[in-house]
Amino acid sequence: MRFTRFARRIILLAALPLLLLAIPAVSAATASAATATGWIRLAHLSPNTPAVDVYLYSFGDSSAQIVLHHVAYGTVSPYEQVPTGDYTVAMRAAGAAATSAPVLSASVDVVAGHAYTVAGLGPESGLRLQVLDDQLSTPSGQALVRIIQASLKQSVVSVNWGGHMLQSSLKFGAVSSYQTVSPGTATLTVSGGGDQATASVPLAAGTVHTLVVLDGPNGLQIDDLLDAAGSGTDPAGGAATGFGGMAPRSPSSPLPWLTAIGAGLLLAAAGGLRLRSRRVPAQAAGGKHRVPADRS
Amino acid sequence: MRGGGRHARRRGLSAGGRAAVLLVAAGLVAAGAGAAGLALTRHPDVPRAAALVVLPAPTGPIAAVPAQAAAQVAEPVSLVIPSIGVTSALVHLGLTSSGALQVPPTTSVAGWYTGSPRPGSIGSAVIAGHIDSVTGPGIFFRLSRLRRGDRVYVKRADGTLAVFEVTEVQMYAKDAFPTAAVYGAVPDPELRLITCGGTFDYTTRSYLSNTVVYAKEIS
Repeated sequence: MRFTRFARRIILLAALPLLLLAIPAVSAATASAATATGWIRLAHLSPNTPAVDVYLYSFGDSSAQIVLHHVAYGTVSPYEQVPTGDYTVAMRAAGAAATSAPVLSASVDVVAGHAYTVAGLGPESGLRLQVLDDQLSTPSGQALVRIIQASLKQSVVSVNWGGHMLQSSLKFGAVSSYQTVSPGTATLTVSGGGDQATASVPLAAGTVHTLVVLDGPNGLQIDDLLDAAGSGTDPAGGAATGFGGMAPRSPSSPLPWLTAIGAGLLLAAAGGLRLRSRRVPAQAAGGKHRVPADRS
Repeated sequence: MRGGGRHARRRGLSAGGRAAVLLVAAGLVAAGAGAAGLALTRHPDVPRAAALVVLPAPTGPIAAVPAQAAAQVAEPVSLVIPSIGVTSALVHLGLTSSGALQVPPTTSVAGWYTGSPRPGSIGSAVIAGHIDSVTGPGIFFRLSRLRRGDRVYVKRADGTLAVFEVTEVQMYAKDAFPTAAVYGAVPDPELRLITCGGTFDYTTRSYLSNTVVYAKEIS
């Protein structure tokens, strides 16, 4: 016996709840990871070089990503956050056309999470663009400091902070390595030739400083740049910021649902058996119905 | 009665036949409903919180992003996160005797870790708050719903507003907490918002993970 259309429709409707189980659960999406980036800043530290325009190009691009106009001696730009990759820095005389040949250029490979200073250093006659790798992490509870000597008038300087001789003879155009110091606020003294400059400089725990020695209008001048800062002391581990009041509670007993499944299957089986048993009398009735092949 | 008995009766099932079909159908429906219920209730029962009230953005003089030689900015006094309805004064947080981050004394207020930079000065400022109390939601209950581009406002003691934009939302296991990424030095003014998340361990009565939202200052 074939199933009738009526039977088929009913069975299909019954199958719908089973189909609903196939709908996948929707999971909450967290924000995807951000693009990898680093930081670049640009500096003009050549005392006898006039103001420049500084261009930053992503490698291969003809239009600049960043242009700083009329950057004069002593200027250090703030860090710009840029995607990782290769960049070209070009310096042109202030006001020169963007298409004119640059006076100087340098390439920088920006690695994720790293920071770089691209500085014009030295005398005008020997001007160079130097790419400095900037430190961002400090030993726990300490400060990091380095010095850039950009004074032409005092070709060699000594740098003393709170009694610590940081650099005894740093030459013009040189960049010292980073030094670790115990945090505190102390007087910074820069001396060269007959000249001296002092400033009260706080070096807090977890900070990185670049001190720039410059030729100011009145002689030696100190610029204290805060390169980076983090926690003075890193807390240990994570934060205990929850008590569980809104935490999901464990699932309820599966028993009632298992009972429903079992009862349903039993009913379906009972109905199926009834359907099967109805076929037998139809075939046994003889002549009016289908004759099995072996009886012919 | 039809002749040519190769075909079964086409007129339809008898009443008994229909009843059998309906029995099969009813059985399948019951089994299907049971299976659906079983699958759906395997997920844990989540308590409900009050409806979210989105807040308007605070007004006030907006602080400029600092240059590197900038003087010390004023201390933070309050926090507003409009998109998740958070508004809170900021208490001061230090370290516990075991060196872990102190947490706010109540679950309805957030706190600024005073060992971290001030929000709006160069560096990674840290603010923490509870996700829940023993009985209900805490100030940072909806923190994990923040998305890139959402705004966070910190008001400071001098009346200025530091405005931050969310860049990332991460969850970390507490026993693999990335201290350098969260507390390490950065060269621009940034913010980290911290609360608990993930699975709640009923034996130790603590969450196993922390949610950390990263944001950077915009002008």
